[in-house]
Amino acid sequence: MSDFLQEAQVTAAKQALDRLRAGMQASIKGKDDVIDQVLVCLVAGGHLLIEDLPGVGKTTLAYALARSMDCPFSRIQFTSDLLPGDVTGVAIYDETAKEFVFKKGPVFASVVLADEINRATPKTQSALLEVMDRARVTVDGVAHPVGAPFMVFATQNPVDYEGTFPLPESQMDRFLMRLQMGYPQPADELEILRVARMSYDAIAVKAVVTRDEVIHLQALATQVYVEDSVLDYLLRIVTATRSEAEFKAGVSVRGGLALRAAAQARALLRGRDFVLPEDVSELVCPILAHRLGLTRQTSDALEERRLVVGILRRILAAVPGPS
Amino acid sequence: MEKRRPQLSLDELHQLKWLLGGGLVLLSVATVFYLDVDAWTLMALTAAGVLAVLVKPEWPARVPVIVHRLAFPAIVALFVGDLWRTGEILPAIVRLDILLLLYRGTSYRQKRDDLQVILLGLFLIVVAGVLTVSLVFAVQLVLFTAWALAFLLVITLTEAAAPPVPARAGDPSGPPAWTRIRWGNLATRVRAVTDWRVVALGTGLFALVVVISAALFLAIPRFQLENSLFLERFVSKKARSGFNETIRFGEVTEILQDDSVAANIDVTDRSQIPATPYWRMLVLDEYSNGTFKLSPRLRRATFDNERTGAFVRGSRRPRLGLPVWTFYLESGISRYLPLLGPFELLRFTTIQNYRAGQVAGLVALRDEPVTMTAYRVEGMLTGDTVPDPAFTEFLAKPRAAGPLQSVELLRMVGVGEADRAVLRQAVAEITGGATLTVADFSVRAERWLAARHSYSLQPAIPAGPGDPLVRWLKANGGGNCELFAGSFVLLARTAGYSTRVVTGFKGGTWNAYSSNFTLRNSDAHAWCEIFDPAAGAWRRVDPTVGPVGAQEEVRGEAALARRTDTSWSARFDSLRVFWYRRIVNFDQRAQVETLKAIKDATEDSGRKLRERLADLFRGVRDWLAQPWDVRRIARILAVAVAAAALGWGWREYVGPWWRFGRRPGRVGKADPVRREASRWLARFGPLSGRAADEEAVHAALLRLRFGARETWPEPEAVFRQARRVWRESRRRRRAAARLT
Repeated sequence: MSDFLQEAQVTAAKQALDRLRAGMQASIKGKDDVIDQVLVCLVAGGHLLIEDLPGVGKTTLAYALARSMDCPFSRIQFTSDLLPGDVTGVAIYDETAKEFVFKKGPVFASVVLADEINRATPKTQSALLEVMDRARVTVDGVAHPVGAPFMVFATQNPVDYEGTFPLPESQMDRFLMRLQMGYPQPADELEILRVARMSYDAIAVKAVVTRDEVIHLQALATQVYVEDSVLDYLLRIVTATRSEAEFKAGVSVRGGLALRAAAQARALLRGRDFVLPEDVSELVCPILAHRLGLTRQTSDALEERRLVVGILRRILAAVPGPS
Repeated sequence: MEKRRPQLSLDELHQLKWLLGGGLVLLSVATVFYLDVDAWTLMALTAAGVLAVLVKPEWPARVPVIVHRLAFPAIVALFVGDLWRTGEILPAIVRLDILLLLYRGTSYRQKRDDLQVILLGLFLIVVAGVLTVSLVFAVQLVLFTAWALAFLLVITLTEAAAPPVPARAGDPSGPPAWTRIRWGNLATRVRAVTDWRVVALGTGLFALVVVISAALFLAIPRFQLENSLFLERFVSKKARSGFNETIRFGEVTEILQDDSVAANIDVTDRSQIPATPYWRMLVLDEYSNGTFKLSPRLRRATFDNERTGAFVRGSRRPRLGLPVWTFYLESGISRYLPLLGPFELLRFTTIQNYRAGQVAGLVALRDEPVTMTAYRVEGMLTGDTVPDPAFTEFLAKPRAAGPLQSVELLRMVGVGEADRAVLRQAVAEITGGATLTVADFSVRAERWLAARHSYSLQPAIPAGPGDPLVRWLKANGGGNCELFAGSFVLLARTAGYSTRVVTGFKGGTWNAYSSNFTLRNSDAHAWCEIFDPAAGAWRRVDPTVGPVGAQEEVRGEAALARRTDTSWSARFDSLRVFWYRRIVNFDQRAQVETLKAIKDATEDSGRKLRERLADLFRGVRDWLAQPWDVRRIARILAVAVAAAALGWGWREYVGPWWRFGRRPGRVGKADPVRREASRWLARFGPLSGRAADEEAVHAALLRLRFGARETWPEPEAVFRQARRVWRESRRRRRAAARLT
């Protein structure tokens, strides 16, 4: 493989991603921007944290993505009594073979929906986050890869904090992106209401890309060219968060790398083999906002989210782009 | 892609405003260096305070609110107290101004406070400028104006960014967020957001305004600003030469301790400069109670009739061949003008109130000038005698009416009988009982004094009864010029000679850079004039021995060579003289000549240009008029083809290589291809609603700007395409605009 993408490769990648987008758009109405960001997350090989109220289509989104890729999908409802083994799997004793056999947990799927992740204990959360980081489960010293592609959709309710264990900032850093779904537009909601369907199992989505194609797309994204002035722009944004008095701490190096990877994925999604400054600036809020905490106290989590995004936009306005 | 230039954030604007405001305060209070106002402590305090809060901008938040509440009443109380104590309004106002600057410079400012800082600073600058009329003022004013313009720009930007400014003086909620300043980051940001083309344009416009102002300054007539203002009572800087109308013996004086410039003197013929010039300022003829002073009679005769005018006619008759002397007398020296002797004509730059004693060759202004005073003297006597026909006549006919000075007074010793006996004894030793001529007596008396007394800057007059001068004469101790001169006068008068003390300057240095004489306050001197009936004139006698006493007489160029000053201070002094020569104008001739020279140069350039164009036109016409044959046409065609080939080659090969090929491997903005692509992208702007060809060229430009070099299309082709598409697009837009 050459160092630079060929035009044919970029065209093929764009076509594949267009198919994926179209497939998901058939199931998720009026959320094209969310779908695009999910695809960016997928191509960049990251995991997604969705903060929103119940019933706005989070599960459907994850399911539609999994079905479009012809990949296994699993859903884990996190509760306070959920154990790490319930997520990763356990080793049980096989009477016939006279040995311990590893029984895979629900995390062994390509698309895993970790619903209300903040309701589980920190121990269980850590088990999932370890898998997200290493893409494998280690039981009794034996590593079990979860396979590729592997993408976790974690959700949490930003309003109802009763009896939850909020994710610490160090673990929030493991998520590439944080999104809000939001309510659909009235016209789109009318369309949803017309198709009376209560269960996502009933969603008819045709597989439009194969698992290998997705892996190939992820490999291609890493080859998208980032010019030095764009990298400098990205770095100046990250540095600005570190000198901003309102933030407890700035964005980590991992955060900067995540922004770069996401920008590359977005460029590929747009059919380009090079990154534009707008690829960076458009992704600053979804990629960086959940990695930053405020120094001052706020009335609730939503207020904090709004303030962080506001400061990031101010930084974006202040940092000059490459001319 | 959005191409809007990034802006400074509100916090960064506040930080920049803080820096510029502090700088303006420092620039303004520096004017105290040029004013003789007792505000050094305040100035140091203000400078230290402002520098401290520039380094630590969060400190003003720690000041208790009560301080801010009491600040203005306290400042007003201090001002009233100052006024009551000193009784001088302008120094008190200057100190009030600095106090306000201190307070404003060390507390958080709103817009009106920033404007107040500018006004307070401007007041100091203007006051210092009017009073000093120096080159420094011009430089400082230009600097202040540029700085204040930048400050106003930042104030306006800050106001536009956030109308309500939360940071108030004495706000108890702690320091504002912007006080966390990292100067390095701020400098980087300011550099990033600055549009250097606008800066260059602004600087150019500012320079143009300065040049136009300078041209107007050269063109308009001069006037003395301080004569129109109330400032004339406010002396900018007092020298310590100690000139006054009396010499009291026994006082400790500071003469010879001030090396600052007292006067600069231009002369048209340097060969006529005396070997040791004595610059007379005042004659003291009466001695009593240990004090030499100007007698009421001489004062009436010389200084009673005040006149108003731009020139003084002297006692001398017009005479050709004498040099013209131009004096630039610094402020605070004296109201008596230094002169070498009687003169024919003295001309001021402007109308003055003066009193002139024509016979004595003295001129006094009504008040001590508050700024540099220039005057030009023609037909001035430079010798060691001052003719006095009236006194000669009076001596010859004692009962002649209207004597200017009485013989009695000029021969009055003014000491007690015991002291008189001492003086008589001394005179007997000097003359040996013989009747001497004035010249002989002078020489012997000088020798007699030199044998018994040495020169000293710290004269010691023994305590005791009787006259201090006689005590000093008896004591054989060291003395300064006043003691020598005073003693000589007493001895001469005891011997029966009419004698008087003269004060002024002796010597000076020749500035090699500006070719002028420079008198310093340390050149102040006192000597004597003894009347010589044979010559009918007052003869100069300088009885002082030692460093300022009579020196070996060297004349002409050799004298100048000995006095030549080539030190660094002379360089600085020469700047001052150049400036004075520029601003001082005794008549309009020089000004008119300058303007005429500019006009002539302009007309000359225009004429030459017209001639060249006419030559060119004639050349073309002659060339066209030559017979046209096949060979000539072929030659012309060959040249045209060669030129076209050269142009094509340049455009296709040399041009692209020159623009893009010389520095391969450089990335980012420095890469010429990326820079050119960036320029074209900015020209195209946002792509929404554009035609297909524009989209294609836009995509190619994006690839050139942000894509990998290895994947670039041919840059020159893309730019050609961009140029073509841009022109078409512009044509389409214009057509659409015409339709609508």
